[in-house]
Amino acid sequence: MPLSRREFVAWTGASGIALGLSRLALAEEPEFIARETLPGPLGLNPGIVGKGRIDGVAKVTGAKLYVSDFRAKDLPGWPADTSHALLVRSPDASHIYEGLDLDRLTADARPSAVVAAEDLVRAGTRVPAFYSGDLLCPAGSTPLYLGQPVALLIFATFDAYDRARVQFRDGSLIRFGAETGPLTRPNYGAWRFTRIAGATPDSPDVYAPIQEGWISPGFSDGGGRPIWRPLPVAEGGQYAKGATYGEEIRKELAANNPELLVVAGDFETQSIDPMFLEPECGLAWYDGGNRSLELILGVQSPYEAAEAVEYLLGEAAAEVKPDRINAQFAYVGGGFGGKDHTPFPLYVALAGLFFPDRPVRLAHDRYQQFQGGIKRHAFKMKTQIGVDRASGKIVAFAADHVLDGGGLANYSPSVAVVGATAALGIYDAPKVDVTTVALHSRAVTAGSMRGYGTLQTMTALEVLIDEAAMALPLDPIEFRRRNLLKTGGKSMTGTPFTVSVRTPELLDKLEQHAIWRDRVVEKSRVTAGTLVGTGVACVIKDYGTGADCSLGRIEVAADGSISVWADAVEMGNGIGTAIANRVALQLGGVGHTVAVAQIGMFDELGLVTSGDPYTMTQEAQDEAAKNPRWVPAISSATSASIGAHVGTQAVAQAAGIVFRFGLWPAALELWGIPKGDPRVYLWEEAYWQGDELIMSGLPPLPLSKVAAKAHEQKGVTGAMGHAFSRWAWSQASFPIGGFDWEIDLDALAVRYGGGPFQSLDRTSVAFPPTDYNRIGTAFVSGCGTAVRVEIEAATGAVRVAKAYSVVECGQALSTELVSGQAQGGFAMAVGQTLHEDLPLYEDGPGNGQWNLGDYVIPRASDLPIHDLEIEVLPPISPKEGPKGIAEVVMIPAVPALLNAIHDATGHRFNRLPVTPDMIRGVLS
Amino acid sequence: MTSLSLTINGNPVGPIEVRDELSMNDFLREILNMTGTKFGCGAAQCLSCAVIVDNPDGSSHTNPTCVVPAVNFNGKAIRTVEGHAKDGVLTPLQRAFIEHFAFQCGYCTAGFLNEGQVLLERLASAPIPREALEKTILEALDGHLCRCTGYVRYHDAVRDVILADPGRYLT
Amino acid sequence: MSELRTPTILAAAGALLIAASFATAWAVSGATSDTLAAPESFASITDEAARSAAIFTELGKVLTSPRCLNCHPSGDRPTQGDEMRPHQPPVFRGADGMGLDTMRCTICHQKANYDPGRIPGHDPWFLAPFEMGWQGKTLAEICAQVKDPERNGGRSFADLVHHIGDDTLVGWAWSPGYGRTPAPGTQKEAKALVQAWVDTGAGCPE
Repeated sequence: MPLSRREFVAWTGASGIALGLSRLALAEEPEFIARETLPGPLGLNPGIVGKGRIDGVAKVTGAKLYVSDFRAKDLPGWPADTSHALLVRSPDASHIYEGLDLDRLTADARPSAVVAAEDLVRAGTRVPAFYSGDLLCPAGSTPLYLGQPVALLIFATFDAYDRARVQFRDGSLIRFGAETGPLTRPNYGAWRFTRIAGATPDSPDVYAPIQEGWISPGFSDGGGRPIWRPLPVAEGGQYAKGATYGEEIRKELAANNPELLVVAGDFETQSIDPMFLEPECGLAWYDGGNRSLELILGVQSPYEAAEAVEYLLGEAAAEVKPDRINAQFAYVGGGFGGKDHTPFPLYVALAGLFFPDRPVRLAHDRYQQFQGGIKRHAFKMKTQIGVDRASGKIVAFAADHVLDGGGLANYSPSVAVVGATAALGIYDAPKVDVTTVALHSRAVTAGSMRGYGTLQTMTALEVLIDEAAMALPLDPIEFRRRNLLKTGGKSMTGTPFTVSVRTPELLDKLEQHAIWRDRVVEKSRVTAGTLVGTGVACVIKDYGTGADCSLGRIEVAADGSISVWADAVEMGNGIGTAIANRVALQLGGVGHTVAVAQIGMFDELGLVTSGDPYTMTQEAQDEAAKNPRWVPAISSATSASIGAHVGTQAVAQAAGIVFRFGLWPAALELWGIPKGDPRVYLWEEAYWQGDELIMSGLPPLPLSKVAAKAHEQKGVTGAMGHAFSRWAWSQASFPIGGFDWEIDLDALAVRYGGGPFQSLDRTSVAFPPTDYNRIGTAFVSGCGTAVRVEIEAATGAVRVAKAYSVVECGQALSTELVSGQAQGGFAMAVGQTLHEDLPLYEDGPGNGQWNLGDYVIPRASDLPIHDLEIEVLPPISPKEGPKGIAEVVMIPAVPALLNAIHDATGHRFNRLPVTPDMIRGVLS
Repeated sequence: MTSLSLTINGNPVGPIEVRDELSMNDFLREILNMTGTKFGCGAAQCLSCAVIVDNPDGSSHTNPTCVVPAVNFNGKAIRTVEGHAKDGVLTPLQRAFIEHFAFQCGYCTAGFLNEGQVLLERLASAPIPREALEKTILEALDGHLCRCTGYVRYHDAVRDVILADPGRYLT
Repeated sequence: MSELRTPTILAAAGALLIAASFATAWAVSGATSDTLAAPESFASITDEAARSAAIFTELGKVLTSPRCLNCHPSGDRPTQGDEMRPHQPPVFRGADGMGLDTMRCTICHQKANYDPGRIPGHDPWFLAPFEMGWQGKTLAEICAQVKDPERNGGRSFADLVHHIGDDTLVGWAWSPGYGRTPAPGTQKEAKALVQAWVDTGAGCPE
């Protein structure tokens, strides 16, 4: 089929496979991209009037949108019939796997193809480092973890697949031999974050990770646990130096100093399933004639998924190695982190490759999703806070975290670091020592999930802070206020946050709220058999990962309609709507059509990359930056709450270019303002009211008229760009309109009039320095929650009676989306605190028998749906950009609920979830 | 194999020979390619897969499709998410879901829409007092799981449709 | 399927109760937890009241099986699964024991088990009336309840023999479908026990 360059964007990596991420040719069925572009040229766009999401109509009419909606017959150019694959996972990780009893399948349930570990060896597939471990457990080995896949079975018909699925479900067709016990593996990473502040706020730190580098211990015991003593290590930082400071802090806390209040506590958090409602799914078709592997996927990290598949097959045997891979990405039915860097697309690709010329669908059912999907890490934490009794100021803080990472490393090292560096929450302490280690275990793999380690560590913190306040005693909010990290103050790694820190306002709001104000009165109004309690907590949470990318493209047609493409993924977060709204700030019209999860629409930028943005040296970055097409990374996952801040960035910057060099010159001509008139330079003073461009003293101009003129003038009517953030945006200058124009993009292409896009060579570029990688985080948003609970003493049942969350997010691109996130985050927090629990090992989800009857997530009746108040603070200045909040809104509700339960029962629970039985236990 | 005929969104479907074990959810999604009806848990615990069944007596109820064999729907009349809007005109409930930003990822939306629609129709034939409204909505929707939204806006949307036409739904 | 999941305290308490009750019967009959002893195996107990109580205790293995208890809740919400967790989605008995208007039992629980969906079914499917709730009770309490027409649905002893021995909804407990442990023994064996219990004077365990 003939494909234009626009329609098939491809690049060739080291593997020699052309990797494309694109649209397909037109046929009777609407193209996939057409279905995924919303609301579509003729569709009603609720986003235009701020009355809904751009995907609103599609989602209330059941349009095909999610990857699980697609079958081969929906895809133009594909064969009509869909085959189905079953990924068989092991419910055992203590015995030797010996193979499958396929002979015991009924004759009408036999697979047409069976892929086992030895087939992958023969095919020469490779496992991307991130997923290191056998993709399929070889016969003769003990599975590395519960739920590890052992075979991929492919069925020509749905009926055969459906029968086999049922026959496999009790695990009896999987043969096991001798007991070996679970496999042990080294830990996934261990770090120590120690900071000793200087004598005064202005003096430099005595010791800080930002100065000295991050340190890890060099030794571990037989079980993979690190030895934290200050033993020297051969490489990787001066461990002994940092650890010596750390041990001093520990000694100080242990010294029985009467002037120092030391509160210490253990806290355990449970394993959680993200429980997105759409189980993981994908479609693959290996077109043997064209040696092309077509993939339809639904993940939060499309670029990574495509690269992982490319790596998987990069050195494969000639007969299975495709010449090109064409991956397309759909709307995502919930993610919460669990669809970011999942190995699932690798299995989808294998299913296609091992059943050539037949489209194959691989889809988890819910039991399989519990068995194989990424989980939230269970944490075990010890925390100590030392407070000067006289001043009520925290003088020392120490914590030790142990994470159960499950069977594959995945994001475990990163979650450990992010959790550790958040362990001090909103507070300032001059002496800090935090250790963390992520362990391998036979549990189902843990990875990214909303909160990403910080939910765990800040929950432990915020309940201990409450305990410290009561021990002093000080009012819990006053104690928090005295210890706040102020704007410009240094975080645990030794760097100040570079965005506003509005925790004083959040605390004021919590203190003034009726839930908190009336807590004593309400508690005294106890009816027989009911206990009432009130709790509060406040956190800040980083957003961004330190290597965040954004790709955006915008085109304004001569009729004023605006089309937008972005690489960010829509998983419910409203990114498409946020992008459309951010465009409206610049261009007067929201994006009329928005296509998200697009990574193949930016070919004209000609981007190249090399190295690892997290670990590269400054010299390597400087050298690479000489190539005007080089960027530190090309595309990143939609996760880490980066939607508003990062996901909209490239489109917003591109829209600014279109305005400045396309619409503004057109408006000047329409207004009859000649060259040389000083008003030519007042473009920043013009603004949009609806779709009319307003400039004081001049007649308003409709966007359609301005756009037509811009096309006529052959001004800039389209722009695409790439943005990169390492706790600061890359900045570059581009030759445009006679200027050397500096913007927060590192690559830019524009089109003039209706012409093709042309890449502009940057004339200078400033990438954020590589030592920013030691910062940990520089971007934070804040949220505080106050909550009232009523506990039925007889049953221990907790009713969440009222709640209030206050969140600061800079410029809200859509307050409805922000408050919606906050409502959903609160619900998830209630689940984490009171309901949800996955045993880690044999009794847990890895056994393949878990579903929503056992794993109870909150329903409306578990929530104060009519008494949940969300307040979104206005930006601190009109210039304040959007900040990511999708994670932070979940976190304070967990410790606030725990503090409320303590207030009601007098007992501090230090293990989640707090069940009615646990409460009844302490009340009896 | 059993011959299956039914009415979907007013249109006759079948007769089609289907396997007795085939679930209604797979019949809709795999055989008819009607994927607006979702698959969430396969165990009738999330109700993402619920469709409306119109009974001969004029009443309606929602029915999960994942735990019911397709053949049990023989002779029945059902409605799915694809059938609510007529000639491109959205129903008041569909509009309310959009205007309230009721859903986020939208995967549970079909189930909530069907349940909310059945409730509206039930109240239209048997109005309730205003003070019973929130509880009635909660009772009707509580079987449906949503992981994104915290449910607030779904409930507000249904309530506002009812309050916008009190003469019809309330006593 | 063997039970792998963490039981709720409710289930744990139930298990404890069952185990304690079984101890007596096992001592005499030697039957294991998934089988039922024949009435004759209690012949060695000479005291008829004691024999009757022992027979009821053996029958108690059926009555306190999750298959029976799940739909004999002491409140309005049934439980489900071998671990007897609260029914998901939340359903309630309603006016006729067949659910609320918004969620009737029979929309999911149809005329027969549907094994691919792991869901049980039978025509009809409904909750035991409130006064016949057994959950959380000792076997002695259940025994007293079963004999009391006020709390057994107005049944005579003959009705009880028929209900336990012949009713097809009760009979479902012995063929409950994938993922659920059947009630011990067979319905026929249970009928023999209840008949023998009646014949020995319907004595109750202490």
